[in-house]
Amino acid sequence: MRLRFQLNGEPVEAEVPGDALLLDLVRGRGLTGTKEGCGVGVCGACTLLLDDRPVSSCILPAGCVQGREVWTVEGVARRHPEIVDAFLRHEGLQCGACTPGQVVMAAALKLRGGEPDEAAVREHLAGNLCRCTGYRAIVESVRAALGS
Amino acid sequence: MARIDALAKLTGRAVYAADVDLPGLCHAAVARSPFPHARVVAVDPGPAREVPGVIGVFTAADLSPGRYGRRVRDIPLLAGPEARFAGERVVAVVAESRIVAERAAARVRIEYEELPAALGAEEALAPTAPAVHEAAWSYPGAVVTPDDPPNLQSRVLHGSPEDAERALAGSAHVVDRTYRLAAGHQGYLEPQACAARVDPDGRVHVWMANKSPYRLRHQLAECLELDPELIEIHPVTIGGDFGGKGSPMDAPLCVELARRTGRPVMLVERYHEDLTSANPRHSGRVRVRVGCDGEGRLTGFHVDALFDGGAYAGFKPLPTVTLHGLEEVGSSYRVPAAAVEVRICYTHTVPRGHMRSPGAPEAVFAFESALDELAHEAGLDPVEIRRRNLLADGEPNPWGTTWVEARGRATLEAALDAYRPLAVPPGWRHGRGIAVYDRPTRPGRASLRLVPDGDRLIVETGLPEQGGGAHTVLRQGLARALGMEPDRIEVRQVSTAGLPPDDGVGGSRVTATLSVAVARAAEALRAEGGPVTVTLDPATVPPVTSYCVQVAQVAVDPGSGQVRVLELLTAVDVAEVVNRDAHRLQIEGGAVMGYGLACLEDLLLEDGRVWAANLGEFRIPSPVDVPGLRTVLVPGGRGIGVLGVKAVGELANVPTAAAIANAVADAVGVRVRDLPITAERVHRGLAGGEGEVGEEEAQGGER
Repeated sequence: MRLRFQLNGEPVEAEVPGDALLLDLVRGRGLTGTKEGCGVGVCGACTLLLDDRPVSSCILPAGCVQGREVWTVEGVARRHPEIVDAFLRHEGLQCGACTPGQVVMAAALKLRGGEPDEAAVREHLAGNLCRCTGYRAIVESVRAALGS
Repeated sequence: MARIDALAKLTGRAVYAADVDLPGLCHAAVARSPFPHARVVAVDPGPAREVPGVIGVFTAADLSPGRYGRRVRDIPLLAGPEARFAGERVVAVVAESRIVAERAAARVRIEYEELPAALGAEEALAPTAPAVHEAAWSYPGAVVTPDDPPNLQSRVLHGSPEDAERALAGSAHVVDRTYRLAAGHQGYLEPQACAARVDPDGRVHVWMANKSPYRLRHQLAECLELDPELIEIHPVTIGGDFGGKGSPMDAPLCVELARRTGRPVMLVERYHEDLTSANPRHSGRVRVRVGCDGEGRLTGFHVDALFDGGAYAGFKPLPTVTLHGLEEVGSSYRVPAAAVEVRICYTHTVPRGHMRSPGAPEAVFAFESALDELAHEAGLDPVEIRRRNLLADGEPNPWGTTWVEARGRATLEAALDAYRPLAVPPGWRHGRGIAVYDRPTRPGRASLRLVPDGDRLIVETGLPEQGGGAHTVLRQGLARALGMEPDRIEVRQVSTAGLPPDDGVGGSRVTATLSVAVARAAEALRAEGGPVTVTLDPATVPPVTSYCVQVAQVAVDPGSGQVRVLELLTAVDVAEVVNRDAHRLQIEGGAVMGYGLACLEDLLLEDGRVWAANLGEFRIPSPVDVPGLRTVLVPGGRGIGVLGVKAVGELANVPTAAAIANAVADAVGVRVRDLPITAERVHRGLAGGEGEVGEEEAQGGER
């Protein structure tokens, strides 16, 4: 299957098997920031932006990106340096396995707009598991990135 | 102080084992046994070989017969002729891509003959139980003998049972209770992953999510009968460990596959494979008999722990092949007569390994719950029984160790001073529970190489970064020891070819180890100029202990039994803190992991199989589950080395389950003795009046 889509702001083409997953498509292009965790769409490590909305790339067929816009953590970090900066300042990470998903979720919340309070940020991150931090620092990082 | 590794992780540039790209890399997948115990009668690789892209299909007979282990070498690369647990590797397929390898592995025809299985610890020790291994005593590293029951992995006895019995017989109050713990999983988000390459000259290269590379090199050399100097373990970032990333796991298989195919081979487990067949936490039961006199002073205890080690003992690293936390039960208290017996046995279930402070959350859940039950019997407040029995400076613990200081009482008072009761929803009941833990800080073996580079300094280390912040602490510590700005120091993790052996990450020892090592390195650099290499011998450093007191507040709905943990207040006995942010994260992350153990996590091991086989079924805490977290540091302790530090990595996850169980009992009078504490279990206790939850689940199976 031939795919044409925008990847991190650039037009790209890719040839993939019809049953390929979105996760394998981006990782196969060297964008290994996106991680496979649970593989069943519940842990959030593989989160990407598809037309600015967060999706679990480990359960999404690659074909769904046809003509659409994909942002991975590599692109999100360039597009939103303030998010990276907020996580750095608030130490919102440890081992890093969930981190790309958390950064992408922060961008998704930012793109959605509004002024979410702490509970709303937690709710937004409910599908992004972290085994290291206990979440307080991640929630603070995301809130700082939003300027809230 | 920002972490060194943070920017690469936040921008997606950090390289983990599954991200390693090697020229010609191919991928392995395995077909696993569906039966707890079976004979592999025949393997037909034909249908798999026909799949386009398949490079090779391998059974046990095709590969090295060597077995591996962290201590006991009893784990084969592939099972055959006998498969000993549901999930065991039986056939390996190497292919051009991972998906092709997996599809081909699913097409291998394996004929099994199912055999009788031993599925629970009590059952496995019965004289008639099917033996998991014909001669477990014969494996290198085994601590059992031909005279032991055939399914015993290890048995450890400390103290004097006679003295303990005498003390209990003479006690004013005694409780005799049994507590049970479900099997759990470390829950790191990066599944087990490794890649291997074998050069034409026989040199072996490995990239692996493994926290102790030098030990891995040694374990691979032993298993495959190779010269360790021919094996090089290359550095990669590790996506969480929590005890589960310390074994060779799939690396010996990967090396053999790379050797046989002449190609670099990567094996990344799917998460369901990791849950069902890696090295999850031991399940088991702990019987505690503990007594006190009329004033609530502890007179003696006898603890009998029986744990399920699964099909292989090789994931436990201690020479005693036990879990140290169980051996050290009751360590925070003054007890004149104590005895503990710990047995771990083989069963036809997934082999068990280490998880964050192995054995300690289990021992502390049992002992600290029993202490509350004893206080209840004696008519004492749970705080009071702890005040009267926590060790004072100079007093030996039940196992004969006297620490340079024992700050349990100060830590308890600090927690109580900070405690503020929270409101509960209308109709719900409020409860408060307390639990105490102390653990020693002992440095490990470490090597550092300092290379001056103009006005900068490069420090080479063999320590991996598994998330705890080791590299950041190394830079800060060295900066302090040398009086340099941290940003002029560059930390480089080097391969095992680069430095003398290093114990790697584990045992909450990294910061303490570095605290001594940076001083030695700084001294050597001043004396000799650069470059210098120093190796720390841990035997020369006296250990200290650190206390953690947790206070849990819960709201319990007396109608449904639902438990909400409102807050976990964690007081930690500290000396100096090198990096406040990283230190706080270790405590908060620990408390949340403790909450998971207490209230959520259960691999649902039934009929010898893991039923919670994905992260939706095996629930670890999410951002909306977690209780409020408060941390109180109790400064002023005497720490280790030039930085003056105490362990923190494996403290806050330990007392949580007991604190929550004690809080539930305080709220509604229901004593939950089986983890996890579910609404069903509390409800059953409420329905039965004064709670006795647990005993009806004593019979049969794992739970």
